[in-house]
Formats: sequence, structure tokens, C-alpha cells
Amino acid sequence: MIYLDNAATTLRKPPAVARAMGEALRRGGGAGRGGHEAAMWAADTLFACRQEAAALFGVDNPERVTFTANATHALGIAIGSAARTPGRVLVSGYEHNAVMRPLEALKEKGFTVEILSAPLFEPEITLHRFEEALGDGGGVSFVVCTHVSNVFGFILPAERIARLCHAAGVAFVLDAAQSAGCLPIDAAALPGVYIAMPGHKGLYGPQGTGLLISPANALPEPLLRGGTGSRSADAAMPDFLPDRLEAGTHNLPGVAGLLEGLRYLRRRGVDSVLRHERALTESLLRTLSRRPRLRVYHADHLFCQTGVLAFTVEGMDAECIAEQLAQKGVAVRAGLHCAPAAHRTAQTFPGGAVRVSFSAFNTPRDVDAFLRALEGLL
Amino acid sequence: MSGCLIACRSLTYAQRSARALENAGFTATVLRMPAALSDSGCGHAVKIPERMLAESVALLRDHGLLPKKAYVLTEDGLYAELPL
Repeated sequence: MIYLDNAATTLRKPPAVARAMGEALRRGGGAGRGGHEAAMWAADTLFACRQEAAALFGVDNPERVTFTANATHALGIAIGSAARTPGRVLVSGYEHNAVMRPLEALKEKGFTVEILSAPLFEPEITLHRFEEALGDGGGVSFVVCTHVSNVFGFILPAERIARLCHAAGVAFVLDAAQSAGCLPIDAAALPGVYIAMPGHKGLYGPQGTGLLISPANALPEPLLRGGTGSRSADAAMPDFLPDRLEAGTHNLPGVAGLLEGLRYLRRRGVDSVLRHERALTESLLRTLSRRPRLRVYHADHLFCQTGVLAFTVEGMDAECIAEQLAQKGVAVRAGLHCAPAAHRTAQTFPGGAVRVSFSAFNTPRDVDAFLRALEGLL
Repeated sequence: MSGCLIACRSLTYAQRSARALENAGFTATVLRMPAALSDSGCGHAVKIPERMLAESVALLRDHGLLPKKAYVLTEDGLYAELPL
């Protein structure tokens, strides 16, 4: 199979990921639930993963790194923690349903959601929209912004939006689902920001893993309450991280796998991955942009775009294209990509688009194979 | 049990503390807090040689890690709190 659906889940992982997961199944007990060898081995694995993530993302304290089940879980905690006082909530217009559905539920509590509809691949205009909205009469409760559009690969100016929010004293939740591992992220340059990410995409961990990086000195609101292996006599959840957000037994095999994914990234370098994915995207774009009937969504010279490329074909249904590609052994994603807001903003709603997304493990031969398969459909 | 225990607010805090000490060449082990010393149940501690307590506490403070309490097991089998 030619796998080009890495924005959903990276399929090919470093071999150490599966090995570590198997070892965790054989050796790991319940972290924090005992002082015996199996429990302490598990605890050491969790701590190593927190440290590795902290190092990769410039986090000064591994206690700020919380394990979650996925990015949606991490976003749920972050949004619930940022939503202290009802008011305006600002979003870019490229957010995934993992953001938009929790925000929809907040409307019942008096929050209003303002979609800034930033034009595609226009980071300066995007920034200006946030600047205007933050200065427009106040009342902003918090901001949620995707770092990279899961549909179009558009890189939004997260650090500069974070600075605006910080200056305005407004909480900021960054959805790093498509940027973690694909773009350098420096938490030190994102003060006061909740950063939510999955483990199973650009971090090359397994499904069922995610991370939330909380701001320094934050006390987030738990989404799940229960046993933590700490302060067990207390009825309330602990008032310290990471325990406050990690009720229940950890997904140790998942974390062990994620640790190896993170180690791979640190060895290879996120910059190197970005260059590799962009080179593949450029190569694909050169051919696709010459084809009649195709509309390819891309930034000039890919300056604000990752290894994700979406396109539509005049007169053809996006889902049908993906289905036919699948029959030829090529995996892509079509439709609305759980991001109807992004498609509305980019005016590809309701038909959606076909999305090709690369990983560190794709090669130019994958691009050629994809193009051959697509050629047969057009 | 020989040595003394530095009480930590969480397992991760204990792990951070132990790592800081180990990186400085000290011996440190993370372990469960004895029930008698855990004011709210299920805590963790870092075990260090008693003679290293002052140096260890100073090093942890340098790293922004603030030990809550320290204990030593006395000859009569009870824990005695040590001044920090």
C-alpha cells in the first residue's frame, strides 16, 4: 500500500515503537500503584516519556506534560480549563471538530464563538484578524487556534497569536494535532498556552496516545476524575500536575511506544522531517498543478504549508476519488476531514477535498505511485 | 530501612528530584512513602543516604525542587522528622 494518510495517523513507525510496546506489555505494572519492580518500571517509562516530550517541545518542567488518550482528549481538558468565564471565544476558522464541538457545547453556558474566517495561506491577514478581534471591545474569554490546518496544511502564526493573547491576558489553546513532530514547537515561546497534540500522528507513537502541555503554574480542570495513586485519602483530585489530569491506569504500552517515537524525532530532527515532507509536497505539487480540472490548494513556495496537500477535481466527487485510489492501493483521505469549519472557510464545503499527507517515511517513489494511480482516474 | 526519606508531593516530583540528584552523582531511589508518614495516603519519596541530606536538599532547592519533609528511621523502628 502507498500510504499517504499520515495526517490521520502515521502508519509506518520507527521499529523501536512496536518493540517498546511489547516490552511494556511484558514488564510494566501500574505506574504509581506500587513500589515493586513492575510498577516502578512503568513509572520510569512514563517519566522518560515526559522528559523526552519536555525536551522536544522546550518545556522547562516534565510535570507540565500530561498523558491523554488523544488530541481530542487533550483539547477537551484545555478548553474546559480555559473556559472559566463566559464571553467571546475566538477561532481562526480552520479548527477541527475536536475544537468546534466542545465550543458548541459551551454556547449553552453563555459563551459565543467568533469564527474569524482567516483566508487560506495568509498568515499576516490571519494575525490581523486576531489582533482586531482581541481589541474589539474586550470580553474575550479565550482563543483556540489550530496550529496547522488538518485539511490544507496551512501553518497559522501561532506564536504571534500567543503573544497577542498573552499581552491581552487572554487564555490560548493551541491545537497542535498537525504540527507536533512536523514543525518545531517551542513552548517557551508560547507563554500561557495550552498545547494539545496526539501521539499517533507526527510523533510516531501508537493510537490511543496524546499529550497536553499545560502553561507554567496552571491548575487545569480535570475532564476525568478518579484514582491517581497519590493523595488517595483525599476526596478531591490532587492540586498538582500531572496527577490532576491523569485519573486511572495509564496506557503504558502506548506511552512506551510514544517514547520511542519521540526519541526517533529527536535523533532525526523535526526540521529534517519538515524539509523531507515539503520536498515531497513540492514534487507532487509540480505535477498536479499542471493538470487541467484540478484545483490544488497550496501556499506560494509552500512557505506556510506543511506536508499536506488538498485538491479537488472538477466534476468528480472527492470521496469517489479516494475510494478508487484505495482500490489501486493508495491511501488518502477525502471528504470533510472532521473539519467542516475549515472547508467552509476555504469554500470547499460541502463537497470537501482529497487530501494527501506525507510522513518522514514516505519517499519520492510514493509520489510517483500516487500520480500514476491518479492519472488512471482523470 | 537505612538512609533517609525526602517526601515529595507526587511520583513525578519524586522522579524529578531523584534525577536531579543522580545527575549530580548522588545516590537516590524513588519509593513509596511509608503509610505512617503519608498524611493523605499514597505518596512517594526519594531515599538518600542520611549523611547526604544537607547537600541533597541544597541541590534540590537549586533546581527549584522544594522538599516538603525529610525523615529517618530510628533504632526503635519509628520515623523521626529531620529539620530541612
